[in-house]
Amino acid sequence: MSLPFSSAAHPGGHLVAGSDAPEKRQLRVGFIALTDCAPLVIAVAKGYDRKYGLEIVLQRQPSWAAVRDKLLAGELDASHALYGLGYGIQLGLGGPQHDMAILMSLNQGGQAITLSQALAPQVRDGASLARLVHGSETRYTFAHTFPTGSHAMLLYYWLAAHDIHPLYDVRSVVIPPPQMAEGLRRGDVDGYCVGEPWNALAQSEGKGFTVALTSEVWPNHPEKVLACTRDFADRHPNTARALVMALLEACRYLDVPANREEAASWLALPDYVDAPRDVIASRLLPEKAADGSTPGIRFFGDGEANFPYLSDGMWLIAQYRRWGMLRDEPDYEAVAQGIHRLDLYREAAAQLGVAVPDATRRSSRLIDGKTWDGGDAAAYARSFDIKA
Amino acid sequence: MPRVLLVNDTDKPIAELREALQRAGYEIMADVAHARALLHAVETQRPDVIIIDTESPTRDTLEQLAVMNAAAPRPVVMFSDVADQSIIRAAVRAGVTTYVVDGMAPEKLAPILEVACARFDEEDKLRRRLAEVEQQLADRKDIDRAKGWLMDRHGLSEAEAFELLRSQAMKQGARLGDVARQLLSMSDPPG
Repeated sequence: MSLPFSSAAHPGGHLVAGSDAPEKRQLRVGFIALTDCAPLVIAVAKGYDRKYGLEIVLQRQPSWAAVRDKLLAGELDASHALYGLGYGIQLGLGGPQHDMAILMSLNQGGQAITLSQALAPQVRDGASLARLVHGSETRYTFAHTFPTGSHAMLLYYWLAAHDIHPLYDVRSVVIPPPQMAEGLRRGDVDGYCVGEPWNALAQSEGKGFTVALTSEVWPNHPEKVLACTRDFADRHPNTARALVMALLEACRYLDVPANREEAASWLALPDYVDAPRDVIASRLLPEKAADGSTPGIRFFGDGEANFPYLSDGMWLIAQYRRWGMLRDEPDYEAVAQGIHRLDLYREAAAQLGVAVPDATRRSSRLIDGKTWDGGDAAAYARSFDIKA
Repeated sequence: MPRVLLVNDTDKPIAELREALQRAGYEIMADVAHARALLHAVETQRPDVIIIDTESPTRDTLEQLAVMNAAAPRPVVMFSDVADQSIIRAAVRAGVTTYVVDGMAPEKLAPILEVACARFDEEDKLRRRLAEVEQQLADRKDIDRAKGWLMDRHGLSEAEAFELLRSQAMKQGARLGDVARQLLSMSDPPG
């Protein structure tokens, strides 16, 4: 039997012309108006989508619920998503269960906790907030963005690390991010955890102050991902791989400080984040802390920020268990294995020469001194004193 | 009869459901226009059904109540439990999402959804038609300006100018109006 191409004629190996062409070229990709949608905006602005044979059509979404519905209905092919949106859908928390795929991590860190300016005279950190909460009859209200999302889980973790029970000592509600700063001013909410620029904006308008960066809760914590349904990834593996390549390249571009200046200008546009450029830039440009670390948002870090570690997703499941959101003990590893498309990610990274770690778990020390390394997740979930 | 709460915080005039639902005998609470009012209404007035634009930014506020039902003052569930899938599909098409408070029988929801769908399905068609007409008008204006510019600066006849735009649109696989706007943004057109 003769083939039109012998492999010898194509030293590139298995990538014979045509065999890796995207099954679907024009993609509707959702995003939420947050600074960390930057990789998608940059991928389109710099033409990285076309470089890999795709045309990304970005569609801003009004809520994470809308992202979920449109991914499941096929109105969106993929989306900028909370890590926990994918996990929440996979586990059927609060809505229809559907098998999901996480193709890559888009960033780590870069979120913050903001408190109302009205609390500033008494509160400057978690410990003084705890004194206020426990010494007063008032039930304070804290907002985040989505029940299964990282803002909820990092806020609860931070509060609990300071001996404040997030479900019993305070009220936990969801407020759309653009309404949060105004909520502080009106006194509807006393604090919140959200992505940028909504912390920087409250501070610039004198309505609130940033009490903690989420990197203080967990340095380089998992944050946004590129998500699609499992079905979409199964039926369009070449498209999914090309999409990861385009976004990896955008993430690499965003590692250069001068390019973040450019990204701030793109993000400020009305079609994207629609917020003042300098407010966006104030939390996007890398800043070194006194100890030499860079506590802000991380998009690339030689690919360290992009590998979708299984342990990152398993941490979320453990927190769902901790807060009573998941009744039955899940098979942590199996759930994570089902969602994370490590195969596609590794192929995309290899083609770009981006380093991929051998391990599928990573070890981190969180604000309360506990270490999370993906080992015995069920015991980890039970190990917290403050829980539902 | 179920008590219905309308969330009216987008361009879609959800509040206009009030009359139709009242005529059908439902008790309609004062509608709310943002997350704070929604939370207050759910906690203090205890609606059985909440109707909200699929595109409302306030939907995630309801999602929190749906997931955290152990801790929330009022448990809320999504409408996905309703048996009649065709009604749900119609609701999705009309862009209406309904959250049902725990304990209400699913069959009681169907007529409410039907009213909402009848109202907004039609609305959506009208709106799409209106958007199409507006787009056509905008295209025609820009195509005329681009033609005029080609005729003035390059001495083309009107037919030649139009043919140039048309062939460029074919080549790019783009709409004529978009090609005209592209040309106008690159050149320095008169007026």
